[in-house]
Amino acid sequence: MVRSVPNRFTCTNSSQLIYPCVNNYEYYMAGSGSAAVIRTDALRKEYGSSVAVDDVSLEIHDGEIFGLLGPNGAGKTTFVEILQGLRRPTAGSATVLDIPIQDGLETIKDRIGVVPQSFHTFERLTVRENVALVRDLHSDPLAVEDVLAELALDEYADERFHSLSGGYQRRTGIAMALVSDPEVLFLDEPTTGLDPSARRTTWEQIEGLPAQGTTVVLTTHYMDEVEYLADRVGLLVDGHIEAVDTVPALIDRYAGTVKIVVHLPADTAQSDHESVESTLESTARTVHEREHGELVGVFEDRQAAQDTYSSLHDLGMGHAIDLVSADMEDVFLELAGKSLTPGGERT
Amino acid sequence: MKRLVQLTRTLLTDWFRNREAVFFALLFPLILLLIFSTVFAGGPTDFEIGVQNNDLEADGTPTELSVELIEALQTVDPLTVDRIERTEDLSTAQNIEERTGQTRVLVIPEGFDERVREESARVRKVVIQDTISRAEADLSTAQQDSIQEGLDELSSAGSGKTSPGAVHVTLLTVPDDEASGAVGSIIDSVIATFNNRAIGIEEPTVALGAEERGQADLGAADYFLPAFIVAMILINGVMTVPSAVANHKRDGTLKRLAATPLRKHEWILANVIQQSILAVGIALVLIGVAWVGFGVTAVPGPLAIGLILLGAIAFTALGMIVGGFIDDPGSAISLGGAIALPLMFISGIFWELDLMPRTLQTVAEFSPVTHFHRSLRELMILDSSEGVWVTAGMLTVLAIVFLAGATMVTNWQEFD
Repeated sequence: MVRSVPNRFTCTNSSQLIYPCVNNYEYYMAGSGSAAVIRTDALRKEYGSSVAVDDVSLEIHDGEIFGLLGPNGAGKTTFVEILQGLRRPTAGSATVLDIPIQDGLETIKDRIGVVPQSFHTFERLTVRENVALVRDLHSDPLAVEDVLAELALDEYADERFHSLSGGYQRRTGIAMALVSDPEVLFLDEPTTGLDPSARRTTWEQIEGLPAQGTTVVLTTHYMDEVEYLADRVGLLVDGHIEAVDTVPALIDRYAGTVKIVVHLPADTAQSDHESVESTLESTARTVHEREHGELVGVFEDRQAAQDTYSSLHDLGMGHAIDLVSADMEDVFLELAGKSLTPGGERT
Repeated sequence: MKRLVQLTRTLLTDWFRNREAVFFALLFPLILLLIFSTVFAGGPTDFEIGVQNNDLEADGTPTELSVELIEALQTVDPLTVDRIERTEDLSTAQNIEERTGQTRVLVIPEGFDERVREESARVRKVVIQDTISRAEADLSTAQQDSIQEGLDELSSAGSGKTSPGAVHVTLLTVPDDEASGAVGSIIDSVIATFNNRAIGIEEPTVALGAEERGQADLGAADYFLPAFIVAMILINGVMTVPSAVANHKRDGTLKRLAATPLRKHEWILANVIQQSILAVGIALVLIGVAWVGFGVTAVPGPLAIGLILLGAIAFTALGMIVGGFIDDPGSAISLGGAIALPLMFISGIFWELDLMPRTLQTVAEFSPVTHFHRSLRELMILDSSEGVWVTAGMLTVLAIVFLAGATMVTNWQEFD
């Protein structure tokens, strides 16, 4: 199951992410030295008068986990389904494994694996039978038992699909995608609806795939998912790619270094609220208000943040103040103008 | 080919584990076969009739001729005669079922015996006079006088109390008795014989001779077996398949398959092959049950199997069209039913075409289902191949057209 693994770079910045440590979108468009397995050029998809994918140009490199992050309805699924041959683009072009999607869909489908967002399969068939079905539809598959063992599904191999829990159903989906020994694996919202334990297990399974030579394209609306898994992230908002980079680079560029979160009680006086807000605004790069009366200030300078933290503390209003590292949520807020709920909706 | 085989095997496995599909495909036609074959295998029809005899002697015993009429009715096979006590005259009753528990009652009126005797004497006299008038020229005056004397004696034999005219017995039936016409005709024929005997005619002028011709030992199951094999193919192909396809579309199974190298035509063909295998298998089960349960002599030869396969291909392809453009399983099965059920009703699946109005019989001739089960009956029951090749050609054309249609309407991209 191990294919040749592409060369990886080691980051020199503080994030210590292993690949690739560049934060210039144009650089990726030109190629990073690692072959692009997916390349889109002004890819567009319209449904009547609405535009689901709006002129997306992107490269995804061999051996990386690429996270496509965006709220529900941003066009993530439409975008990857075009690459999987399940939708026709309205305009633009794309290649998967250097094969144009307009010309070689069958070959592309033979070399990719897909776990759709609402994954389902023949529910009266067992796990083994479902995996065997997909194996027999591909030209150069892996052994069913090997894949089941790899995903710790061998114990459930003779269980019918409908009798499995959501986590094991999703894992069956991954097994069905991996049995074809795909060069590119598309995972569309792979952990939606799973409990924390099942999410963690799924992450661990995905995490190991690049080492086996599989490029992973992961669509998700979970910030923590891309932070944990993705080598690079593309932010998709309203069909547009707003930014593409590594998580640390995106945070550096769009979210500063640290942020202060001030938790204001519901009965906070308007004057106190304004005092906190003006204190933050005097030094922070951006200030915004979240749900439950939280004011957030994002800082590029750690010292300035610490000074502001002290100033806020001195106001003595009894409010809780947290000084935390900036994350992808701040990036999303900066680029999309709104934050994301756990369900993937914008607020 | 490997993909086709694997998907067909998967669809078959999925089907065998689907209780609803197995019920509708196998048990439903089996139950229909058992019910219809049992209901219509009950032998000669039997009509019950109550008879109230109001013609009694002074001592309360029935008169001689009224008894003779009742005995004549009892000799007729389809009739089962129940005597009804003379507690009241039913000829004026508004609801005979409420009064007697019978849906048909024949009322013999008071004075029946006497009036029959007088009327038969009058009729006999008319006949004799008619005969004499035809031979008058050949008779001497003495002979004519002697005959006239006999006729006068015949006239005086009656009581003369009754006026001339037919004696009426009354058949009372309930309004919704669909067999009243048939029962009336049977009683009419019994009365006609009774009338003839009353005037001394024992030997009939015209007699009906009935003989059975054709293959012996054919029962209701022989008729319904081919019909229900066709019904099973229709139900599976046009109702179950669209529902299954719509379900696979809705739950994302089809999208998952479309993301593999599987091609659209392989998906359609796998469904068609699955249904063809099931059609032959279920047909053999139905034949086996009919053989064990009803002694059906049907033997499916290669031509019959070929016809079953062609029908399964054509109607499954039609089902793939329905499933191709409908996403909701419930709607798919409803639309499939809207196509399959009228086709079955109009094509003589549940009853013989001769029982339908002439216009519908003409319409039925345009239904492929009519020709399908008719040809299957020719092959399996009558051991004849009359019209079979035309039917096979028609099913082949339909299969090609429907397969092309299914390929056109099945989405392999742009899933909702």
